[in-house]
Amino acid sequence: MIEVENLTKRYGAFTAVDRIAFKTNSGEIVGLLGPNGAGKTTTMRMLTGFLPPTEGSARINGHDIDTDSIEARRAVGYMPERIPVYPDMSVRAYVTFWAQLRGIRRPAAQVDKVLKQVQLFDRRNTLIRHLSKGMRQRLGLAQALVHDPPVIILDEPTIGIDPQQVIEVRETVRALRAKHTVLLSTHILSEAEQVCDRVLIINKGQIVAQGNPGELREKLQGGTLLYVEIGGASSKEAKALLAAIPNVISAEKEGKGWRLKVSPNADVRGEVSKRVMSAGCTLLEMRAETTSLEAVFLELISKEESGAS
Amino acid sequence: MSTWVVFRREVAHYAGSPFAYVIAFAILILTGLLFREELVASEASIPNPAVIPNALSFFMIVFAPLLTMRLLAEEKREGTLELLLTAPVPDGSIVIGKFLGAWFYYSVVIGITLAYQVALSSLTAPDIGHSIAAYIGIWLYGGATLSVGILFSAHTENQIVAAFLSMAALFLLWLADLAGQVISNIDAARVVRALSLQGHYSTSFAVGLVRMEDMVFFLGIILLMIYLATRAVEANRWR
Repeated sequence: MIEVENLTKRYGAFTAVDRIAFKTNSGEIVGLLGPNGAGKTTTMRMLTGFLPPTEGSARINGHDIDTDSIEARRAVGYMPERIPVYPDMSVRAYVTFWAQLRGIRRPAAQVDKVLKQVQLFDRRNTLIRHLSKGMRQRLGLAQALVHDPPVIILDEPTIGIDPQQVIEVRETVRALRAKHTVLLSTHILSEAEQVCDRVLIINKGQIVAQGNPGELREKLQGGTLLYVEIGGASSKEAKALLAAIPNVISAEKEGKGWRLKVSPNADVRGEVSKRVMSAGCTLLEMRAETTSLEAVFLELISKEESGAS
Repeated sequence: MSTWVVFRREVAHYAGSPFAYVIAFAILILTGLLFREELVASEASIPNPAVIPNALSFFMIVFAPLLTMRLLAEEKREGTLELLLTAPVPDGSIVIGKFLGAWFYYSVVIGITLAYQVALSSLTAPDIGHSIAAYIGIWLYGGATLSVGILFSAHTENQIVAAFLSMAALFLLWLADLAGQVISNIDAARVVRALSLQGHYSTSFAVGLVRMEDMVFFLGIILLMIYLATRAVEANRWR
């Protein structure tokens, strides 16, 4: 469990992380989502005990990261963005080293277990310098998991690896939910959408929105979207026809058809088809559109930007 | 416990590193040649049993930086330092473990040079006490040079810079002994010599004297350097 209160990191006049507060429950995967330089890595570094916060506090499993740092660090498994490796060590020796450093006296069984979990067991005697990028990524995950910490912090776990490996890493992360709290950062929105139970959108060091991915989308979209294409009506007629339908907030031209913004929780599809028919036109296409979190995200960020200037 | 884990990793690294073997090889070749020279030169008289330690006291200006330059600089450059500093261990235990690893490797290498003492005893009757004193001295002296090396390694992520700076520092510490011998003001000379590494070796251990003050000096240097290196490692948290 991670509890963060007013966590702030300043570098001189520059505020990298600005009064962040959130709480995660155990068994939850929480995503920190934001553009590069938003403060994701700095936040994680403070939570892992690498950087001391300028202000505010955070607790990992009840241990304060400042006053009870060693215990807090013991409860965390951390995978930095750039996987730090010792190229001349074998896979097993590397994972064993981190297990021992985190206080496990006889790590052999746990090391084998975690290597099987990340599918590196048959590579256990390979030198790290001979591993592919994707394997190194899994090795980074293995060192973060080996001491079975209640909290796992992953900084951009899928950066720079091929799509197949991305899927594998995501699956491994999802499987962690059963026993661990996971905090991961990403700037890939679809990833946050697929993997996380909850997303914190962070920009310029502040949390600008949070919620589960579905909620966030609805909240920011302000309703659902419907794409409609009509045959046999001029633009003007079609627009008037569609805009007159109850619960339709707006109708805008989109390619050959129209995009209707509909109030939340209203289903206007039946009404659309009835009215189009009775006006003597034909309904060529009608489908619900879901904006991705991407659009939501861009909207949020640009709102921030225009608000600031 | 954590010191022991770091120590073991460093020893394993030295044991598997071709570069460490090259350094050991260089030390053994150079001391071997000197030993032979000493035997030839002292045909009639008894060879100096401290000849190898005396040579090492100069060689370590070069070899200590080479043995220690990667210890912390590499961790910093590879990013492993970030992970080490998030492990539930005190920062000092990491530095101490690494230092002890380097000192252990150095001990093994000078241990091998004891073979020359065995060879010497088979030829003549050397003063065993003299050579034991010299070896105790060079062991502590070596530890102090390695601790200077680790201090500079903690300050940069560039191994070459670390090696160069510690060579320069060790060379100055070595020169101070000579400077102390030629400065005409006797009090200034004493101070300069007392601060040099060589000054605590060349007129005591090297001639067969084991003095508490010299041992305390070397151990003090080691502790001071480890303390400063630990502070330098901690400083990474503030950037």
